[in-house]
Amino acid sequence: MTDSAVQARVDQALVARVLLADDRRAFEQLLRRYQGMVRAQLRRLLNGDHARADDLAQETFLLAWRKLDQFRGDARFSTWLHRIAYTCFLQARRKQSWPSDHNDRDDGQQADTSHAMNLHLDIARAMQRLSSAEQAVLLHCVQLGMSHSETAYVLAMPLGTVKTHAAQGKAKLRALLADWQEADRKEEAS
Amino acid sequence: MNEHEDDAVDALLLAQFEGPVPDEGFCDDMMQRLPARRRRPVWPLAAGLAAGAMVCFLSLQSAPLVRTGLRDWLSGQLSAPALTLLLVMASISLLTLAWTLAEADDREK
Repeated sequence: MTDSAVQARVDQALVARVLLADDRRAFEQLLRRYQGMVRAQLRRLLNGDHARADDLAQETFLLAWRKLDQFRGDARFSTWLHRIAYTCFLQARRKQSWPSDHNDRDDGQQADTSHAMNLHLDIARAMQRLSSAEQAVLLHCVQLGMSHSETAYVLAMPLGTVKTHAAQGKAKLRALLADWQEADRKEEAS
Repeated sequence: MNEHEDDAVDALLLAQFEGPVPDEGFCDDMMQRLPARRRRPVWPLAAGLAAGAMVCFLSLQSAPLVRTGLRDWLSGQLSAPALTLLLVMASISLLTLAWTLAEADDREK
């Protein structure tokens, strides 16, 4: 049995304990297993707004607690949680009318400061130049390590759309980060 | 698509990702905020069962097969109507058992 299959069985056993025995400690274990990744997901989606991300993470886990009997096990528990978190994020964004796209950022300012930026900031800025859908797909597929089908489940997108956004997002990033990749290649060659 | 370039972009993205956020009291705070779980009320199931049994009784009380079967069964005679009645009851019990096991299995999964 693979490691992820074992993890999935542990999750299912913990969910069963919560549902059948009203075991709060089992839910606490689920919480401890996944709070880190759910909060990381929300921090990314909210462009590093830690306080708001933690508020949404609390909302996510409260919803998971209330709706646990709706978890049918057709996806991994972590994927189910990430879907709830993403739904909370979308609802909050709708309520507050946050910008969904960052393509209209000031490119002039970016050009002025580009020499001083390190790789970390470069990638962050490059990511912000992608559409919100491309950002969300790359976050889930690459950084959170989900498969395309899991990402499709979390983002409620067709699988083909996820693959398209992943390919387009990577192509844009490749173009935006060409200098860094060139430098990497030179380092490898030397 | 160039797989090597794809891997390079993946590596850059992974390098930029800080990974899971440390707990820092989040779980303890969260557990204090959890409300009591709402238990699913039992009365709809009980009321449904009672209503079903009542409807079943009213519709079958005038059927001669049931009356004869019940009378024979109570007097200890294993006649054809009594056996039919027992078979029907055994089948319903088995179906209920199978349904319960299937539900329990679904919950475990």
